[in-house]
Amino acid sequence: MANTTAKLHVVYGDGTLGLHGEGFQYIFSYERGGLESLKRDGKEWLYRVPKPTFWRATTDNDRGNRFSEKSAMWLGADLFSPCTDIEVAVNGQVITLPIAPENNRYSDHETADKVTIRFTYTTTTVPATTMTVSYTVDATGEIRVQAHFNGQAGLPELPALGIRFSMPTAAQGFTYRGLSGETYPDRMAGGQPGDYQVTGLPVTPYMVPQECGMHMATERATVTRAITLNNADPDTEPFSLTFKQAGTPFNFSCLPYTAEELENATHIEELPLLRRTVFTVFGAVRGVGGIDSWGADVEAKYHLPADRDYDFEFVIAGTQD
Amino acid sequence: MLLQADLKWLDDPQTYRVNQLPAHSDHHYYRTVAEMQAQQSSFVQSLDGTWQFAFAPTPQERPVGFEQPDADHQNFGDIQVPGHIELAGYGQLHYTNTLYPWEGKLYRRPAYTLGDTTGMPGMFSAGPDNTVGAYLKTFTLSPKLRDHRVVIQFDGVEEAMYLWLNGHFVGYAEDSFSQSEFDLTPYLQTGENLLAVEVFKRSTAAFLEDQDFFRFSGIFRSVRLVAQPTVHVNDLTIRANVLDDLTTGDFNLTLALNDDAGQSGAQIKTILHAADRVLLNQTVPAQAEVTIQHVPVPNVHLWDHHDPYLYQLQVEVLDAEGHLLEVVPYDVGFRRIELKDKVMCLNGHRLILNGVNRHEWDAKRGRSVTVADMQYDLQVFKQHHINAVRTCHYPDQIDWYYLCDRNGIYMMAENNLETHGTWQKMGAVEPSDNVPGSLPQWRGAVVDRARSNYQAFKNHPAVLFWSLGNESYAGDDIAAMDRYYHEHDETRLTHYEGVCRNRAYEDQISDMESMMYDPPKVIREYLDNDPQKPFVNCEYMHDMGNSLGGMNSYTDLIDQYPMYQGGFIWDYIDQALLINDEVTGQPVLRYGGDFDDRHSDYEFSGDGLLFADRTPKPALQEVSYYYGKYDR
Repeated sequence: MANTTAKLHVVYGDGTLGLHGEGFQYIFSYERGGLESLKRDGKEWLYRVPKPTFWRATTDNDRGNRFSEKSAMWLGADLFSPCTDIEVAVNGQVITLPIAPENNRYSDHETADKVTIRFTYTTTTVPATTMTVSYTVDATGEIRVQAHFNGQAGLPELPALGIRFSMPTAAQGFTYRGLSGETYPDRMAGGQPGDYQVTGLPVTPYMVPQECGMHMATERATVTRAITLNNADPDTEPFSLTFKQAGTPFNFSCLPYTAEELENATHIEELPLLRRTVFTVFGAVRGVGGIDSWGADVEAKYHLPADRDYDFEFVIAGTQD
Repeated sequence: MLLQADLKWLDDPQTYRVNQLPAHSDHHYYRTVAEMQAQQSSFVQSLDGTWQFAFAPTPQERPVGFEQPDADHQNFGDIQVPGHIELAGYGQLHYTNTLYPWEGKLYRRPAYTLGDTTGMPGMFSAGPDNTVGAYLKTFTLSPKLRDHRVVIQFDGVEEAMYLWLNGHFVGYAEDSFSQSEFDLTPYLQTGENLLAVEVFKRSTAAFLEDQDFFRFSGIFRSVRLVAQPTVHVNDLTIRANVLDDLTTGDFNLTLALNDDAGQSGAQIKTILHAADRVLLNQTVPAQAEVTIQHVPVPNVHLWDHHDPYLYQLQVEVLDAEGHLLEVVPYDVGFRRIELKDKVMCLNGHRLILNGVNRHEWDAKRGRSVTVADMQYDLQVFKQHHINAVRTCHYPDQIDWYYLCDRNGIYMMAENNLETHGTWQKMGAVEPSDNVPGSLPQWRGAVVDRARSNYQAFKNHPAVLFWSLGNESYAGDDIAAMDRYYHEHDETRLTHYEGVCRNRAYEDQISDMESMMYDPPKVIREYLDNDPQKPFVNCEYMHDMGNSLGGMNSYTDLIDQYPMYQGGFIWDYIDQALLINDEVTGQPVLRYGGDFDDRHSDYEFSGDGLLFADRTPKPALQEVSYYYGKYDR
């Protein structure tokens, strides 16, 4: 394997940290507070930097038991929580944040075995808490994403907890190894394990658009797109990106809309034209409930209390995968 | 003209059928065995299709006298029968749940409640919200129906109807979901006949039909003319019992013929057979009533969900010369439903209900569903281990009962009754103006609904339970309904959830403890504390939107408590209408409030395992898993 001895090329920019290798180019933005560019074989995978997500579009049961009213501050946190700290480690050693003039000491020939960049987001809740998202990149282009939510007493229960990737164009579809259908922690017994292919980005057509499309207990998921926003790229050959479990399975949804877009629609036809792919990895998922739709809460074991910590991780597969 | 139509009937809860023929079994009959095999009866002339129609927003604006053949019908348009007036472009679509459709527009209290002695004249006959559909159909009797007694059958007209033939008043009916039948013979003429039906959207029946659904009106089920031979089986009551040994069938049959059948010299030949053997072949002289009792069927092949085995009954009416006048087929299922040690058992085994509540719904046709819809639904049932259905909250189309017989679907056959708007107010139980309650003026109407349901469907093996209605509180009148069912049928159990709101009646109403939406913990408390009746969830797992989580907390009870016998998921299919979007022109599903209809309960009608267009919701695989686990 030629790449086993290859080094990761590191660009200590004035506003970004670039990590390059054969077939990949990643740019982490200090200003945007996250991974700004994830490029594989010349194709961009990110439209905006990935952000922690704390909201799900209110289900009818959430509305009935007033969960969204009680947890409303997480909606603001989902939309607005800023990045408040960034830390960079090269080959496991934390370095002084390499922004100007600190980065004047670097060259155009910097390499490393692996680099970790950790973003801390402070929630716009009262009280506030933090969530950290670390990206560790090696020379194969594999990105290990590790997230940690700091529990904080006094916060309402979480509607959701994850990291949301907004991709520039709508996917042709996705495949995954996991459970059939749409599953939630309290509704996954009927999900059959297997390999599944989903065409397009279906939004489950609940009469009032709401949280949908969750896939629990997933080993891997591959998103395939065919077009980019790059005006100089007329190519329409499909290209793919794979998310893999890191140790334990992960949960995800792959939809054309954010939770807020779904939240605002009263009918599916009011949703925007299909333009993006919103791929979200969920570290924790609240159940959907089902006793009634006018007051009964989701069963207690499927709640997400916010006074405890949550950790989750997953891998964005390297170029050799 | 003996009788004149009177608008006051709309206001009077004591007038709910005028000149209507008595309810009877839903059997078909044929002129020949060949007709029977082809299921095409030459005694029947369908009146489905295009009718002439005029719409009036109020009773006062209706075309008075339109039933007269010499009236001016130039302003009449067309409408399809069966169908809803509101989906034909007349009258506003409206969805509301508990609150009555006049909420915030008109103040109404049911007649004779709160001490009223006036009967509240004019409440509906002068109701500004009482739209009227005037229907006309001309027909010429087909040759095969001539020279017979001819009756007309309306399978469903919402919510009150007056009928005329050739200008003569024939009769009046309420109860939107039961068949209404009238004798047309006195007024038939050779050549063209003019049938006129005046359909009112509201009457006192509106208080009894407050189901959580779109509020439609019109002739929404089929209409047909049916000729009867000179000797005719009006009614049959089959009792296909199973003896204690659970291996011997006990067949009983009572036929009701016309009163003068005994003078006709006719003979009644009764054959009961299975595919390979004849169990009964007996010919007796015709009488007004013919009974056959206790015909043993050794080693009887029992009917159940997994093996819905049916025997074939064939009743032939032969005239004095031995010529066939009519032949009546009916499928017979031998099964035994009973309470043993407070557990409901079918054929000796504990019954587990993997059920759904099913509204009749079609996204394009509303409640005017098709046989194709029904067949699709049965496929879904089969694929996902659904073994039981509650006909919420009214009798369904007749075909559905036959299909459930053949497909082994256990039916909780509910009559047409729901009055939650008279006692569920702002989340509280507040029954001060409840109907039917214990009001004598309302008793006849609700017992009539029980009677219609029982008489029509009493021969279906699929029907295991009679259900007294939904969410109507409890009083003497519902107790009278329960009594009606038990007095007429020793072979089935009764169901009614509403008695749990007024437990003073629990010894008189419902053979089972039925609740809706109780959390599993509350059900355990019931079952742990000396329960007197087996427990059934008549509605549970409210599948509104993205829901149906935690189903195992209910199914676990099946393993833990013999008296927990499962339930019926709420519900089978979303109620939404496929409408062309006013912006894009594309077909979209619309729900309450989307038609400027107020007060509305908006998306609350979307609780199905299927979307309104019959595509499955993701939750269905979970139902399939758990119902499959208990599919015994």
